[in-house]
Amino acid sequence: MDAFLSAAGLFSDPFLIFVILAGTVGGVLVGAMPGLSSTMATALLLPFTITMDPIPAIALLSALYCAGTFGGSITAILVNAPGAPPAAATAFDGYPLAQQGRAGLALGIATISSTIGGIFSIIVLIVAAPMLARIAYDFGPPEYFALALFGLSMLASISGESAFKNLLGGAFGVLLATIGMDFTTGVDRFTFGFYELTEGIHFIPVMIGLFAGAEFLTQANSLDRETVRAVLTAVKLPTRADCRRCLGTMARSCGIGAFIGVLPAEGGTVAAMIGYNEAKRWAKDKSRFGKGDIRGIAGPETANNAATGAAMVPTLALGIPGSATTAVILGALQVHGLRPGPHLFNETPTLLYGIFIAMLLANLMFMGLGLLGAKLFARVTLIPTRFLWPAVFILACIGSYALNQSIMDVWIMVIAGIGGFFLKRHGFSAAPIIMGLILGELVESSLKQSLIIFDHNWLRFLERPIVVVFVLLTAFSMAMPAIAGYRARLRAKMPPSADIPGD
Amino acid sequence: MSETPETDGRAADGMSVARIPRDAIVGAAILAFCLAVWLVTLGFKEAPAAIAQNVQPATFPRMVLLVMAVLTATIMALSFRRQDKPKKTLKPMLWPSAAIMPGFVLAFEFLGILPAMILLCVFLPLLWGERRLLLIVPYSIVFPAAIYLLFAVVLKVHFEPSPLVFW
Repeated sequence: MDAFLSAAGLFSDPFLIFVILAGTVGGVLVGAMPGLSSTMATALLLPFTITMDPIPAIALLSALYCAGTFGGSITAILVNAPGAPPAAATAFDGYPLAQQGRAGLALGIATISSTIGGIFSIIVLIVAAPMLARIAYDFGPPEYFALALFGLSMLASISGESAFKNLLGGAFGVLLATIGMDFTTGVDRFTFGFYELTEGIHFIPVMIGLFAGAEFLTQANSLDRETVRAVLTAVKLPTRADCRRCLGTMARSCGIGAFIGVLPAEGGTVAAMIGYNEAKRWAKDKSRFGKGDIRGIAGPETANNAATGAAMVPTLALGIPGSATTAVILGALQVHGLRPGPHLFNETPTLLYGIFIAMLLANLMFMGLGLLGAKLFARVTLIPTRFLWPAVFILACIGSYALNQSIMDVWIMVIAGIGGFFLKRHGFSAAPIIMGLILGELVESSLKQSLIIFDHNWLRFLERPIVVVFVLLTAFSMAMPAIAGYRARLRAKMPPSADIPGD
Repeated sequence: MSETPETDGRAADGMSVARIPRDAIVGAAILAFCLAVWLVTLGFKEAPAAIAQNVQPATFPRMVLLVMAVLTATIMALSFRRQDKPKKTLKPMLWPSAAIMPGFVLAFEFLGILPAMILLCVFLPLLWGERRLLLIVPYSIVFPAAIYLLFAVVLKVHFEPSPLVFW
């Protein structure tokens, strides 16, 4: 309670409020801009926070994360181009509704459901993170190894063309994490004589490259694309009937988003897709879905925002990122000399409560901004690509350089950008590579320590109950895409008459 | 003669030649990469047994490479069971844009950050078809100057002096 009060006291500082407002406005702006995502924006913004105190720095990034997830809905509804991947499902019903001249209602529903999802996720964060941290106190190297493997296995089910490609991307990330000096033996690996690589490669330049660099090339490859905007007069608050209609969908999506968000590696995009599918599945009348049903907006928007705070749970409690954006926040914590994991709750409780309050404020702020300024934010799509993307590329280069003031990091960013573009073309997502790179060191160090503890007897891993639980979860998450695929094939083979009503 | 299905957005050539799936080609490249990296691991120094404790520096990377090879082989095997999806063609503008990326880093290294930013802000919009000089000129002055001031002065990021920027 003392920590909460002292954290709340920090918010009497106008600078901190200004920082959160700036993060929220920036988040809505980048979220609204197709091609820019909150992940990319937090990665680009990280160097700006180096000189800040830890609380405003993490508050800024957290506010940007929350608002960026919402901001994507603006262009998904008005332009049919989701500003950020988690808003992709919002476009399914948002854009048809906007075409019918009801863009204001669509944005109103998106704003309200995003806020509800976001606030619910913060409650989950406040309750679940300390609980998980308490459990994690009992973790030793074998448990951390099993947990990291579970985190990597979850890559099988995140969005992308195939589970195997995601797993391969994760393994590639782990391989990248082996670059540099082996901390057990002091032997250099894959440094090729570059002393800058001795300490390994930081994931931030790789992340900036995979997101911003690759997107720069994607934009260069689609310069002839034209954007058609729906007309927006004013954002309308949903009526009581609209709210009643969406209530069940929002409640389900809160649960879905929070559950998906807590899982390592999963994020808002998966939550939004499931939120949309569940909204459709539970609806008695499915005929309006895809043609402008407000539940088709409420479902994904509540779910993707409910995943934001929840994704912070494993990030803060275990040091395992819940999503790509929380991976950057994890990096920011490390840059500021903080050690994410259970000790964070004992050592810096004020910081944690500060993050919770900052995220709560960001949710309230983006509700106001969304209702009052959506029309203005939608205008960011008018910024010409020819001026926007050179600026983004410059920021990507300087952002990569500023972390360690090393030109090698800029080269790493460029290589990751060019490589990332071609990997994306062949169905490999950026997020698994980042996740592998972040978890790689933990996997290797905890495996080595475990093998020493167990005298190189692998079977002794199974003597630890928590390890067994994680092994079972890993096996389940690896099998999940295959089970889902099998069920989908079965359903496709079923004659239409065999379809269960209401399913 | 049966027609080959359209696999990469181009018209079928009418010949019944079985095409190698795209994922199989990519997979072969990844396997070659794994092999090359494995060969690099052969050059790692061996650590004394007392320090390495049965886990030599090359052990873990090799385990990861094995996992990658197995996953790649699975992707390749699966690729023969499904048809390639059409892919968006690469536009000619992509290649000079990709070349600008390392070009900018070289300019950053040898000319300094400020001239590199100005050059990029002039040439990239021109390359991408922007012809409004009244927009390009202020953009290429104001944006680099603002970024330089923000990072070098406000955030105290140290940029190496260069032939054109010596402060």
